[in-house]
Amino acid sequence: MQTLTDLYRYRFILTNLVSKNLKAMYRNMALGFLWTLLNPIIFVTVLSFVWTHFTARLLITLIPYNFFVYCLTGCVSVIPGNANLVKRVAFPRQILPVSVILTHLIHFFAQFGIVICYLIIMPPPNGWISWAWIWLPVVLVVHLGLCMGVGLLVSALNVVYRDVTYIVESTITILFWLCPILYLPEPMFAEKFPEWGDVLHYIYYSNPLAGILDSYTNILFYGSRPSFEILGIALIGTLIIGAIGVRAFWIHEKEFADLV
Amino acid sequence: MSIAISFESVTKSYRVLKTRPFLAGEFFRRILLRPSERTIHTAIANLKLEIKQGESIGVIGSNGAGKSTFLSLIAQTTYPSSGHITVNGRIGPLLELGAGFHPDLTGYENLYLNASLLGFSREEVEEKKDSIIEFSGIRDFIHAPIQTYSTGMITRLGFAILAHMDPDILLIDEIFAVGDAEFQDKCFTTMKRFKDAGKTFILVSHSMETILELCDRAIWLQDGRIRMTGPPASVCHYYLHPDEAPEPDED
Repeated sequence: MQTLTDLYRYRFILTNLVSKNLKAMYRNMALGFLWTLLNPIIFVTVLSFVWTHFTARLLITLIPYNFFVYCLTGCVSVIPGNANLVKRVAFPRQILPVSVILTHLIHFFAQFGIVICYLIIMPPPNGWISWAWIWLPVVLVVHLGLCMGVGLLVSALNVVYRDVTYIVESTITILFWLCPILYLPEPMFAEKFPEWGDVLHYIYYSNPLAGILDSYTNILFYGSRPSFEILGIALIGTLIIGAIGVRAFWIHEKEFADLV
Repeated sequence: MSIAISFESVTKSYRVLKTRPFLAGEFFRRILLRPSERTIHTAIANLKLEIKQGESIGVIGSNGAGKSTFLSLIAQTTYPSSGHITVNGRIGPLLELGAGFHPDLTGYENLYLNASLLGFSREEVEEKKDSIIEFSGIRDFIHAPIQTYSTGMITRLGFAILAHMDPDILLIDEIFAVGDAEFQDKCFTTMKRFKDAGKTFILVSHSMETILELCDRAIWLQDGRIRMTGPPASVCHYYLHPDEAPEPDED
């Protein structure tokens, strides 16, 4: 709770840090912020010549996945990257990872706009918009919570331990294949391990990101509400990771200035 | 006079590590073995000190005596290993060369970022930015990226922001070493203004003249302990002639 009120109290720092991140990212590029959008646009244009519906599904999962990955990689280096500030100015340290996440959230929203445009141009079988969209904010909150929890965890641990960067890199690679991005998990389980289907289902969705991506697909592609079971598991996972992240950050933040 | 800063038996020690440990290694060590013993370096040892409101303190000492740790502890960027520090009032930042500036951003953008980190509200920045730019004397370059600035220009901008904030306690680490005569003059005037306004300030410097001119009290740190404290003239004298200095009182 203290964390949240602190963030509100220091919102002027936060907005300045976010705008610093954005400006620093795009300062030396001619097209600036457009790069963020250009990437998925090119990707989509090429792919949609080949597969229409597959492209829609891919976009719906890949863009939220990318948001998570950008938050993760951004947070790993945020404390050493701002060593100058950490050593000299006393301010709530959580502002740094949160500013990274907010920066990428802005990118995520912009890229999400592209997804919606694509859905309008090439609507999936059940139409591009539906009542299921009222569930989007709920999924987004869980998604954002997961990014915050993991972001706090890795930013704190990376200051203390030196292999965190590598652990995060390998995790990202593995995570991509543990999420329903390039394949549909349920038919695969049913086909390959028919007698283990149920168990595998729970193991698979104990990864909160898989549940979140599944929920996005349900809402945006199938136009149906997310599976409460899967989203519920994702929410529990997010809360657990969040609690660990906040605790790890809280334990280590006092050492930041000594270690960076 | 009320107390601005008080140190109650403060000790700050750092774990001396050759490198940062591996998370994986630590994980197994916690489960299988006892945590490894580490060498401890004590930067500040059992320091007891009270600084009254409105006092101006000069801190001297050789490299590694704990001066910077002393300032960091007051600035609350680092925390004591044992003991307790009480600070009453808004603390200025630990001002050092170009602290917290981002090289890719312009001076103007850095002004906003830095000022907000130092606790300015949005309204305060809007109100004071013109005066800050004027004071820094780099108006012509304010919209150029900081990486094109000289060290002197960065310090000017940093000090200009500092001079416009209204801290109760000011911490300064070797600011006077850079800048031309005119800038140093500005710094002196600002410091005097702070002093006359009854602000507490703590100045770390290797320049005895600065300390003699600005401070009411000097503290000589040696190996993390107070070797001597008192009027700047005598402390500076003994610091320069350590063999004449009386032995410190043991407690």
